[in-house]
Amino acid sequence: MSNRVYNILFHTHTVSGIVISVALYIIFFAGSFSFFRDEIVGWERNEPVAEESNLQAIDLDVMLDTLDLERELYGRDIAFTKYFNERRINVNLAASKDTTGSEAAKTGSFFYMDTDNFKTYTYTSNYSIGEFLYRLHFFAQLNLWGTSGYMLAGFVAFFFLFAIITGVLVHWKKIVSNFYVFRPMASLKNLWTDAHTALGIIGLPYQFVYAVTGTCLIIGTSVMSPAVVTFMYDGDTNQLYDDFGFNPPQFELANEQLASVPDINQFLEKAASKWEGFEVTTLEIFNYGDTNMKVGVEGRTAYDKKFAGRGEIIYNAITGEEEHVVDPFTETSYLNAATAVITQLHFGNYGGVLLKVIYFVLGLISCFVIISGVMIWLVARDKKHISEKKRKFNAWVVWIYLAICLSMFPVTALTFVCVKLFLQDFTPERMTAIYHIFFYSWLAFSVFFVIKRDNYFTNKYALISGALIGLMVPLANGWVSGNWFWKTFMAGENQIFLVDLFWIVLSITALVVAFSLKRKPPQPIKVSEKKNYSLKNGIDKVLLMEGASKNYN
Amino acid sequence: MPANKKYLTTSKTQRFAKITAGFFGGYAVTVSLFMAIGFWLNHIHVLTTLRFGGFMLWATLFLLAFLFKNGWKAWGVYLLITVLFSGVIFISKIYHPIV
Repeated sequence: MSNRVYNILFHTHTVSGIVISVALYIIFFAGSFSFFRDEIVGWERNEPVAEESNLQAIDLDVMLDTLDLERELYGRDIAFTKYFNERRINVNLAASKDTTGSEAAKTGSFFYMDTDNFKTYTYTSNYSIGEFLYRLHFFAQLNLWGTSGYMLAGFVAFFFLFAIITGVLVHWKKIVSNFYVFRPMASLKNLWTDAHTALGIIGLPYQFVYAVTGTCLIIGTSVMSPAVVTFMYDGDTNQLYDDFGFNPPQFELANEQLASVPDINQFLEKAASKWEGFEVTTLEIFNYGDTNMKVGVEGRTAYDKKFAGRGEIIYNAITGEEEHVVDPFTETSYLNAATAVITQLHFGNYGGVLLKVIYFVLGLISCFVIISGVMIWLVARDKKHISEKKRKFNAWVVWIYLAICLSMFPVTALTFVCVKLFLQDFTPERMTAIYHIFFYSWLAFSVFFVIKRDNYFTNKYALISGALIGLMVPLANGWVSGNWFWKTFMAGENQIFLVDLFWIVLSITALVVAFSLKRKPPQPIKVSEKKNYSLKNGIDKVLLMEGASKNYN
Repeated sequence: MPANKKYLTTSKTQRFAKITAGFFGGYAVTVSLFMAIGFWLNHIHVLTTLRFGGFMLWATLFLLAFLFKNGWKAWGVYLLITVLFSGVIFISKIYHPIV
C-alpha cells in the first residue's frame, strides 16, 4: 500500500470513527444489555418463565373464551405471537369483517395478554427496562420526525462498517505482529493504540457481523427499497410485498356463523407434532367463528435441529385439512434463510445463556475499542505544535464524550433500582416514568462529569458509582419482591436469578477495575524512540520496531 | 498520530465531491447493479442479497471514492457505471420484465 493510500484510509478511519463514536457506544452498550431483554423483563415484572417456553405450551382456547366475552370475536382475524421469552404474548385483533357487527367489533386492537392470569396490557403499561434498552439500542426514542431515530442508528451502523473496513486495511501489514504487542508501561498513546488494535482484532468477526446485520435489520428495507420499487416494480409496492411475503393471506368471510367454534389448541398440537423440533411462534385465526374459518400456524425449527428453518401450515378450521404447508426442514427459501441467519446472528438467541454472556462481553469489548479509539485521537493531537485553542477544543470533546458514554453504566443500574422500588404498577404512565428516570439521571451524571473536566475521575467514579448502585439491584429486588437471589436459585426461577447474579458479577468486576486504576503521571511529550523496547525472542524484531514507531505516526 | 497531511485533500470542494460521490454515487452504483442483475437471475434472491450485501459494496465504493485524486472524476466514474447499469435495466424491462 502506498503512503498516500495508507494515509487517506487512516484519515477516513479517524474521521468516521470519531463522528459516530458516542452514538455507536450507546448502541453497543444498550445492545449488550438487550441480549438479556427477556431475563430483565421477567425480573422486572416478577414473572419468571421456563427457559424455553413457546406458544404450543399455552392454552389459547381459554384466552379466546376470555377475549370473546369482552370483545366480540366473530369475523375477526386474530393473531397470537410470542416474540420474546416472557409470560405476556402479543395479541392482535383485526376489525371484524362482519358488516352487521357492532361499532366495537369493527375496531381492531393490539395488546399484550398474560398467559397465566389473562390480564391485558397496552403498549405503554407493558413497557419495561428491557424494552427501553432494546429500543434505545436503535434510537427509537429519537423517532421525532418519521423514523429519524432508526435512520440515525442505521447510518451509524453503516459508517461503523466503513470504519471496520478502513481499520482493517490500515492495520493489515501489522495485523499479526502487533497483536502480541502490549505496552502498558509505555506512553498513554501506545497503551491506547495497543488496546485498540488488539481488542479490535479479537472482536473483528463479531463487530463485522454486527455492523452488517445491524445495518440490514434497521435500514436494509427502508434505504434499499425505494429505488427498487420505482425502477424494478414500476411503483407497484403490493407486488414487492407479495414477492417478499409481507402480505398476510386473505380469506373472505362467508357470513355464516358457526354453532360452535372448533378447538384451537388441537391445531397447535397438530402443528407442533407434525415435525419434530418445530417450535410455534405465531398462531393466526382467520374469520373467527365463521364457516370459512382458517387457522394458520407459523414457527421455526429448534436451533439445534436446523439453524435457519421457517415453516407454516394453514388449516381449514372446520375439516382440519391442511390447505397450505411449508416444511421448515426441507423448503426453506433463500429469502427466509437469509432473514433468519441475519436475525439470529444479531440477537444471539440460538445458543442459550452462555452464548449471550459471550456476546455481552464482546459487546463491552467493542465499547472499549470505541473509547480507546477516541483516546488515541485525543492523545495523538495533544502536541506542542498544535495550537492551544485546538487542543482545548479536543479536550472538551473528549470530556463530553466520556461523560456521556461512561455515565451510561451508573444510569442503567440506577434505572433498575428505581423501577424496582418505585414502579410496581403497570399503568399507562409506566413508559414515561422509565424515560424520566433514565434520561434525567443520564443528564445529571453527564453534566456532573463534564463539570469535573477530568477523564480519570470520570472513568473511575462512573465505574465505582455504577458498581455500588449495581450491587443494590439484587437488594432492591429482594426487598421489594422477597425474591432474594438464593431463593430464586433454589426455586429454579432462572430469569430472575440471572439478572441478580449478572449485576453482582458486573459490579464486582467494575469495582476491581476501578480500584486498580492509577492516575498516570504526566507523560513526556516525546518518547525517545527504539531505546525503550526490550524485545522478547520469537517476535520479529524489525517488524515490531517498525510497528511501534511507524504504525500510528 | 494523525495521518500525514501532505497526502490528504485540502480543498473544500474536492472533499465535498469525494464525500458526495462516495455516498450518493456509491449508492446509485450499488442499487443499479443489483437491479440490473435482478432482471436476469431470480430477483427475490438478488434483492434479498441487496439488503445486506448492498451495504458491503456501498461501503467499499464509499472508500474508493476517497482514493481518487480528483473527486469529480469519482463522480464521473460512478455516474458512468450507473448509466451503464441503468441501460441494462431499461433493456431488461422490455425483454425480460418481472412485473
